[in-house]
Amino acid sequence: MAKARIRELTKDIPKEAKILCDTMLADLEKAKRPVLEAVKCALDNSFYSPKVGYLTPGDKVVKTELNVSSVQKMARTIFLLEVLLGNLKSGAVNTKREIYYISKGLMKSNPTYKALDFDDQPESDAVIDFICDMLEVYREEMNCFANDRGGQTYSKNLVVTETLSDGTTAVVDVGSLGTTPFQPKNKPQTFRLKPKKGKVDFCLVVESEGTANTLVTNGMHRRHNCIIIGAQGVPSNGVRGWCKTIEDQLKVPMFFYGDLDAYTLQNIFRTLKAGSAASLIRNSDFSAPDVKFLGVLPDDVKRYDLLCYSVNERDVAEARSLKKAKDALENDPFFRDKKNSDLADILHWLVKEKKRCEQQAVFSVDPKDPLILEKVIVDKIKRKSYV
Amino acid sequence: MSKITSSSTAEYFAKNLQQVGFSSPSKAVLTTLKEAVDNSLDACEDAGILPELEVEITKLGPGHTRNTDLVQIAVEDNGPGLDPEELAKVFGEYLASSKFGRGRCSRGQQGIGISAATTWAQLTNASGVKVISKTKNMRKAVSAVIDVDIKGNRGLVKKKETVDWDKSHGLRVEFRIDGRIVLNGDGGLLTYLEGTTLVNPHLSMRYKLIDQEPVNIERVANEVPDIPAATLPHPHTMKLGEFMTHAGLYGKISLENFFKKGFSRVSDTSIKEIAKKLPKGLMVKNLMTVKEDEFKKIYTAMHEVELVAPSTRSVLTVGEEGLSKSIQRLGEVDFFSVVTRKPTICDFKPVVVEVAIARFKDRGNGPDGHEQPAQLLRFANRVPLQFDKGACAITRAVETVNWRTYGLNQPKDSVPTGPFVFAISVTSPFIKFKNASKETIDGGDDLIEEIRRALMQAGQKLSRHIRAEGKAADLERKISHIEKFGPILVEGLARIVGAPKSRIEKAQEGLRKLLGRDASHAEKDLEEATSKLQILKAREAKKLGLPDDEELPSEAVVEEHENAAADTPDDETPAKGTKKSAGTRKKK
Repeated sequence: MAKARIRELTKDIPKEAKILCDTMLADLEKAKRPVLEAVKCALDNSFYSPKVGYLTPGDKVVKTELNVSSVQKMARTIFLLEVLLGNLKSGAVNTKREIYYISKGLMKSNPTYKALDFDDQPESDAVIDFICDMLEVYREEMNCFANDRGGQTYSKNLVVTETLSDGTTAVVDVGSLGTTPFQPKNKPQTFRLKPKKGKVDFCLVVESEGTANTLVTNGMHRRHNCIIIGAQGVPSNGVRGWCKTIEDQLKVPMFFYGDLDAYTLQNIFRTLKAGSAASLIRNSDFSAPDVKFLGVLPDDVKRYDLLCYSVNERDVAEARSLKKAKDALENDPFFRDKKNSDLADILHWLVKEKKRCEQQAVFSVDPKDPLILEKVIVDKIKRKSYV
Repeated sequence: MSKITSSSTAEYFAKNLQQVGFSSPSKAVLTTLKEAVDNSLDACEDAGILPELEVEITKLGPGHTRNTDLVQIAVEDNGPGLDPEELAKVFGEYLASSKFGRGRCSRGQQGIGISAATTWAQLTNASGVKVISKTKNMRKAVSAVIDVDIKGNRGLVKKKETVDWDKSHGLRVEFRIDGRIVLNGDGGLLTYLEGTTLVNPHLSMRYKLIDQEPVNIERVANEVPDIPAATLPHPHTMKLGEFMTHAGLYGKISLENFFKKGFSRVSDTSIKEIAKKLPKGLMVKNLMTVKEDEFKKIYTAMHEVELVAPSTRSVLTVGEEGLSKSIQRLGEVDFFSVVTRKPTICDFKPVVVEVAIARFKDRGNGPDGHEQPAQLLRFANRVPLQFDKGACAITRAVETVNWRTYGLNQPKDSVPTGPFVFAISVTSPFIKFKNASKETIDGGDDLIEEIRRALMQAGQKLSRHIRAEGKAADLERKISHIEKFGPILVEGLARIVGAPKSRIEKAQEGLRKLLGRDASHAEKDLEEATSKLQILKAREAKKLGLPDDEELPSEAVVEEHENAAADTPDDETPAKGTKKSAGTRKKK
C-alpha cells in the first residue's frame, strides 16, 4: 500500500527517528535536558526568490527543551511518532482524524497513556505537524493524509495515468467523464499526465467550485482546449500538488480566476503560486510558481463597471483581512519582491480603495448572456490582461 | 375639529404606568417594593435613624387580570412616620415631593413612584394603599387607605382610624396588586433585596418572600450616612429657560448679587469677566427689570467665561469600609476588591463611582457546566437598576474593560464570566436616566471613562489574588506533570530505540532530577506570590481599621485615585463609611 512517492526522498525516516530518540534517551540518562528542533514555519523565517518560485525556509528553528511545561508535548510527540512509525512499517495510511481516534483508542486501552489524552483533533494535528517539521518530511511521507477537498478537474484533452499500490496502472480519460469531474488524490505528483491530442492551450483554476461548475456546464471545456479546475477556496495540499504536476508535466500556461480581495490574493493565490509560511518544508512540491492572476483585476472593475462592495471596517473579519493586507505589503517576502510588484499594486489598491469585487460580478455585465464569464476570461487571456 | 381638553398629571400617569416601571405584572411587583423601600430608606436617613425594615410579600390568590396573582407587598420601617395630613399628598398625589430639584443624592426625586404604585393597586384591585403611620409625637398610630383621585391628581383618604401600634414611630404600607412574583434573575425580587443590602451597610432588614424561609440581615455599620446638603446650581449646568426661572426666584436684587447669591462657583473675578462681555450698566441693573433679550446676552456671556467646575460636596459615597463589610452579607466570599473613587465632575455634574467585585464560593457554573456571566449589580443613587442592562452606561463600561489582563475569563466585548459579582454604584444629585422609570443610566464618555477607571483599579487588586491562585495551580500542575508524563516519555523513547531496562531506569532517574529542579522553582514562585498577597492584605486591613486576620478575605483598595476634576481641596468629600461591624446573613 501507498508505494507511490511524491518525491525521491533520500531520508530513511524510521532510521532518522530512531537516532533522534536515542539521542534524547542518552541525554536523559545524563540528566541533561533533551532538545527537539524543528524548522520554524513562520513568515519571519520565509524567503522568496523569483528564480526558485516559492517560499523557502531560513535558518531559524523552534527548539523545545524538556522542562515541566514541555514534558507533556514531548511525551505526546514520542507517542504519536511511535504510531506513525508503526504505520510506515505496516504500510497503513490514515487521515489526521483517524490518527486522532487511533490515539484515543490506545489511550483508552492502556491507562498509562490516559494523561496524554487529546481534547480535540487540533491538539493531535499540531503534534503531527511538529513531527513532520522536526524530521523535515511531508505528512504524506509519514502515511498521513488529509481529506480530499477541491481540485475537481474538467477537460476534453487530458489523460491521467495512475500507478496503483499493487503495481497495476489505471488510465483515466478525463474528457470521457462528461460533466463529472476528475478529482486528484493526496499524492497527485504520482500521476502521469498527457494530452489526448496535441497540446492543451491553458489551464484555468477558479476559486469558486460553483463557478467552475457553471463554466463546465455551459461547455467551456468543450469549446476550448483547456483544463478547468475548481479550487474550492484555499487550495488543499492535493490541489496545490495537482497544479504543480500539471505545470511540470504539461507545460501549459496556468491562470487563476477569483475574487478581488485581500484574502483571495494572500491566502488563496499566494498559497497556490508560492506556497505558505506554515508549509515551508513542502512548498517545493506543493506550489505552481508560473500561475498568473487573471482576475478579477482592478482594471476589470473599471473596464466592465463591476459591482463592488465597500470593505466594512467594523466587520471583524473584513477589518482583519485589510490589516493583514497592510502587514503583507510590509512583511511578506512574496509581495515585497520586485517581480511581484504588480500583485503588490493590487493589494495597495485594495487597501486604498477599501473595496472588494467578487468573481461572479462579471455576470452583471450582460445578465442575459450565460456565457459572459467565459467570454471575459477568454478575452482577458487573449489580451494578456493578467498579472 | 375635535375639542381640545386638558388632563391632570394623575390621568397621564394612570394611562402611562409602563413609563414608570409598571409595564408587566412581574415588574409591577418589583417596582412597588422598590418604591416603598426607597421611601423608607430616604425617610430614615433624613431623620438620622438607622433603618430597620420588614418586608413581606405574600401571594393571596389569583389576580383579577388574566395570568396574574393577587400579591400583597408590605413594607414596614422605623422611620419618623408621616403626619396624618401628609398621607394623602405622599401616596395619592403625583409630583408631590420634598426632594424635587433639590440637588441631593436621595433615592427618590420627583414624587412619582409611590403614587404610581397606589394607582396600580387601585386600577388592578380597586383599592389603593393601606398605610399605618406614627410619628414620635403621636400616642396612637393612624391607619388609612389612600386612593388617587385620578381626575384631580390628589389623594383621597378612606377608612381613617386610630389604632394601637407597638412602635414609637414608623410607617407601614400594604399594597394589594395584580402581579407576578419573580424571585431570581436580573429582574428578581431577591436580586433587588441583595443589591439594596449591599449598598446600605447601615440597613437591618427582615424579609419573607412568599413561602420561603424568612431572612434576617443585620446591619454592618452603625452610623447613618450623612447626606451632604444640596449646593447652589452651577451656571453652566442651566439652560436659558431654567436660568430665567431661577432669576425670578431672587426678586429685586442686582444681576451681580444674583450671580453671587444664586450660584456656586461664580467668583468676583468671574463676575468682572462676564461684565466685560455685557453692555455697560447691565451688571448692576435690578433683576426684575432685565428684559428677555438682555437675559439672552447674559446667558451667552456667562457660558463664554471659564468657571471653576461644579462642587462635588453634594455627592454621597457608601465608602470602601462599608462596601467591604456589606458584600460579605451576600454569601460566602472567596476574595473581593472595593474601590471608592474621589468625587469628580462628569458632563458638568458631580459624580462618585464605587465598585465592589467579589468572587463567591457558592456561585458556581451553570447547569451545563459552563461558566456563567458574572452577576452585574448596577446602582444609581444606591437604588438597584434591574432592567435594560444592555443600554446602561455601567454595562458599557464593564464590557469595554479588558478583564483578561486581570486573570478573568471574558468573551469578546461582554461581561466577564465566573462566580463573580460586580457591583457598580454611581451617585450624583443629577443622574441622567434614559427613562422615567430610572432603569438605565445615560452616560457620556466622561462618565463611562470614570466608571472604567474604578473598574480597572478594582481589577488590578483582584488580579493579585488570581495570580497567587495561578501560581498554586502551576505548582500542582508541574508536580503532576512530572508524575504523569515522565515515565510515558522514557518508555516511548525506549520502545522506539529498543533500549534495555537498565537504560530506562537510568533515564527515569535523570528525568526526576531535571523536573524536580523545575518544581522547586515553582514552589519558590508560589511562596513569593503568597507572601506579597499577605503583605497587601495586612496593609489594606490596617488602612481600613479591620483586624489583621489571615482568614479575612478582604481586600479594599485605597489608592491615590486619579482625578481629573479641577476641584478645590475643600470639595473633597470623604467616604461616608461606618466604623463598627457586626453580623452576617442569617436564616431563621
